[in-house]
Amino acid sequence: MKDNIDFKQYWNKQKIETPALDELIKKANQFKTKTRFKLIVANFVLLATCMIISFVWFYYQPTFLSTKIGILLCIIAMIVYLAFHNTLRPFLFGNQLELDAKAQLKQLLILKEKQRFQQTTLLNGYFILLSLGLGLYMYEYVVRMTLPWAIFTYGIVLFWIAINAFYFRPKTIKKQQAQLDKLIAQLKDLNEQLAV
Amino acid sequence: MTFEEIHNEYWPKVYRQCMGYMNDPDVAKDIAQETFIKVWQQLPKFREESSIGTWIFRIAVNSCLRQIRKDKKMPKSEFPREIFEETEFNSEPQVQFLYKCISQLPEIERIIISLELEELKQREIAKIVGLSETNVRVRIHRIKEKLTKKFQQYER
Repeated sequence: MKDNIDFKQYWNKQKIETPALDELIKKANQFKTKTRFKLIVANFVLLATCMIISFVWFYYQPTFLSTKIGILLCIIAMIVYLAFHNTLRPFLFGNQLELDAKAQLKQLLILKEKQRFQQTTLLNGYFILLSLGLGLYMYEYVVRMTLPWAIFTYGIVLFWIAINAFYFRPKTIKKQQAQLDKLIAQLKDLNEQLAV
Repeated sequence: MTFEEIHNEYWPKVYRQCMGYMNDPDVAKDIAQETFIKVWQQLPKFREESSIGTWIFRIAVNSCLRQIRKDKKMPKSEFPREIFEETEFNSEPQVQFLYKCISQLPEIERIIISLELEELKQREIAKIVGLSETNVRVRIHRIKEKLTKKFQQYER
């Protein structure tokens, strides 16, 4: 029975398919466009919404203070969310490649904890601010309506907010949370392997 | 060194490293590709503080570690075993057995032994993984012992 097995000899016998270089560069370019597109969309959608809301303020000149507070709350909600979202950027696409494995895992753990915060506390805050803002903003226009219409309008908006808050949001959070928890557990396990 | 030269020289090394980690030719190819996409993107920023080889292996190791995200969603064990048994890639059974044994080690050990078999200096492996050189030396010794035992049982 051999005690001194030459693993290197077997290791190097692995068959290798080297793909064509152009195929790789094509993929690299696709990847770059896709990542950039995702980032632009996330920022653009929220910023455009903020601009439209601000436009309403300047163009229609609301007279009630509640409308202005409402607009401000909506904008604050979106900007806070966006600002936090952008702090995740360096973790996702930054120059993390030159870190050693241990540091890389630490970074991934920080990212995951941040994402967890984003999906729970931050999203809750975002929701509360946005609903409150919308409710206040609508008030000026609703008081001009007849009572049944006013009830109907608020009813529809409240219904929509409730669906989002009590159905879609918990569902999404639950799904993402389960994945994140699983990943964090795996990463911690890897960290333990490095500590032994 | 141009990207083409890097690609030609390092693709086999990176691919083997990914095979050691995953023991699945398709997944290994995907991770190797991911690694080279990153190399291609970051090459202009490469500062030559370490050797190009160490730098590329670092990216490859990090790509492997990040891989668990996708991989664990569908653990291999959920597939019927035959699927993997059938995808014979190497005719030589010892080669297959070695890669199989390595892929069954804990993740960090897979990385360490793959780099060792790629003939990286222990000092470089230590830098890539983030452990001390002594620790790496001890680990390599233990992993080789494990592999030798498995091979001895296999050859019996």
